[in-house]
Amino acid sequence: MKITKLAWALLLCLCIISCSSDNEEDLTGQIGTLDLKFDNGVGDQDFIFGTTYNKSNGESYKLTTLKYIISNVRIKDSKGNIFNYPTADNVFIVDEANGNNAGEIFITLNNVPAADYTEITFGIGIDQTRFLLGADGQGDFLAEAQSAGMLWSWATGYRFMRFDGTYSNGTVTDEALAIHMGSVGTSLDNYREVTFTLPNTVRVREVAHPEIHIEADISKVFDGQTSVNFADGYSQVHTSSETTPVIADNLKSIFEVHHVHNN
Amino acid sequence: MKKILTIVIFSPFIFSSCSKDDSAVYVPKPLHFEAPSNFPDIAYNLDNNPLTEAGFELGKKLFYDGKLSANNAIPCAFCHEQAFAFTHHGHTLSHGVNGGIGLRNAQPIQNLAFQKDFMWDGAASHLDLQPIIPLTSELEMGETLSNVIEKLKADSYYQKQFGLAFEDGDINASNMLKALSQFMVMMVSSNSKYDKYVRQEENVSLSQIEWDGLNTFQNKCATCHATDLFSDQSYRNNGLSINPRLNDTGRFKILENSEDLYKFKVPSLRNIEFTFPYMHDGRFETLEAVLDFYDAGMTDNGNVDISLKRDDGSFGISLSTYEKESVIAFLKTLTDNEFLNDKRFSEF
Ligand code: HEC
Ligand code: HEC
Repeated sequence: MKITKLAWALLLCLCIISCSSDNEEDLTGQIGTLDLKFDNGVGDQDFIFGTTYNKSNGESYKLTTLKYIISNVRIKDSKGNIFNYPTADNVFIVDEANGNNAGEIFITLNNVPAADYTEITFGIGIDQTRFLLGADGQGDFLAEAQSAGMLWSWATGYRFMRFDGTYSNGTVTDEALAIHMGSVGTSLDNYREVTFTLPNTVRVREVAHPEIHIEADISKVFDGQTSVNFADGYSQVHTSSETTPVIADNLKSIFEVHHVHNN
Repeated sequence: MKKILTIVIFSPFIFSSCSKDDSAVYVPKPLHFEAPSNFPDIAYNLDNNPLTEAGFELGKKLFYDGKLSANNAIPCAFCHEQAFAFTHHGHTLSHGVNGGIGLRNAQPIQNLAFQKDFMWDGAASHLDLQPIIPLTSELEMGETLSNVIEKLKADSYYQKQFGLAFEDGDINASNMLKALSQFMVMMVSSNSKYDKYVRQEENVSLSQIEWDGLNTFQNKCATCHATDLFSDQSYRNNGLSINPRLNDTGRFKILENSEDLYKFKVPSLRNIEFTFPYMHDGRFETLEAVLDFYDAGMTDNGNVDISLKRDDGSFGISLSTYEKESVIAFLKTLTDNEFLNDKRFSEF
């Protein structure tokens, strides 16, 4: 009897302790790492270089280069606090060619405050604020972007994406395809942002190293909000004020947060 | 005992002097940017790139350094020579590494701090990023940013000067481009005879013919060549015939908007006496040829600026012989010898 009582009391105590430690887990000053994993696909297939993919209109394409710029990553925690990754480092090139054997490309965010995150926002391309900084605060990113072929050589500014390869349709075979969309200074702004509610909470801790798995269905670049025909001026997309905003809106819609790993 | 004491006393100096060897001390000496009172507002944001003496010196060194090109022989100054208001003297089209011929006539480098965008077609919309174009163009300097940075890192002058010019002292593309901008931002040409006349300095007055030329210019040219920068910074088609060999579509190249066909940036006319040949492709050798063109040489290329249409439907700006002579006399008052000979901007 005495023992059971004691056991109950003990259990209750444990409960309270564990409960309270859960509620008041002190995270101040704790930082961790968060990985964003990008996985490019075409519909329900994995993307593979040199493979022919069909479009809705009977055209097909295959790519030799597939990359795009992700920037201004920010995450919101369960209390509504927003963490902006430091601006100078908050710009990344997601390059399929740098993927692992599974075609996954990682962006690692360091020094993220420990918290339970519920929402992620990121930009595709370079926003006006960053562009207007000029060379200020760009560190090595300009050189990196240039090596990666993400800077125009005949104009100033960034290519937000590079889909290079060839396309075919009823009349032409293996014609050059170059989708290099970008902004033109302040005259044409093709930067876009997307926000996703995370399917479950991402717990960033000193000891935990969670991962957000983002899938990108690149077929939507051509068959997205607007379906475009390569034959009608969409095989070469550079800075045209007509075609680039269409591609920018389509590109924005390719992303989806597939799942989250807490480990 | 004494020995030990000396070591103890001097050791901090030894350590500190060691660490100072690699990175020079950053003590910024601000450079004052003076906007001339007759100019429009500055467009360049100095807050993002505060001008300092060391930054300016670094930018000047870079501007004159062949290392920025693939064959180490084509500096910026190769195509932008001071005596000709920083244009490529004697070249209709500029040539660069491996003798490659460029597509356009080099523009002067002057008063860029007041410009919104750059190049004949506005391909560059931020001064800091403009140098990436010539630097990486196969026809001009044929380099890559990372390769140039490697070359600079191996040079003792740059190892020291980047440290003096920037707080982080890093030799990277960001700082290199900021230094080039600091140099170019300071290149203001605002002390021509005309400037002194409008600012009523040194009792300068215009001669009769110059004054007549100014009046004609204000009536017939200043809609486009506006303000004391002599450009409204818009893109216009002034009715040049199309050179089929180049078929340069101008501003159209950027946004691929058919309204932009054959439009080019209205150029500033400062130091025009020395920036010959004229127009985006350098087709006119002399100012006489330019004025004859405006009077009687325009072609309806399909998209000519509507303001150039005469009542009879032809395109052009009618000018009498005296009007041409006097406009040229006026244009020569835009020569700024102080700028063309300013030691701050010269290589030696
Ligand atoms: C091979 C010749 C060549 C070299 C070398 C060269 N430029 Fe130029 N520069 C040109 C030409 C030609 C233009 C006009 C180009 C156009 O409109 O397409 C120009 C235009 C410019 C402009 C635009 C000016 C304006 O009013 O819009 C700037 C700024 C400039 N150059 C700076 C530089 C700098 C800095 C370097 C060195 C990093 C450099 N250039 C190297 C030929 C050259
Ligand atoms: C409708 C606008 C417009 C008017 C009016 C106009 N210009 Fe121009 N001007 C331009 C443009 C645009 C260019 C550059 C064209 C090109 O290179 O394709 C230019 C080029 C020039 C050049 C060559 C500059 C250089 O650096 O190569 C000179 C000189 C010139 N104009 C003088 C005049 C004079 C003098 C008048 C009046 C008689 C005049 N312009 C009227 C738009 C205009």
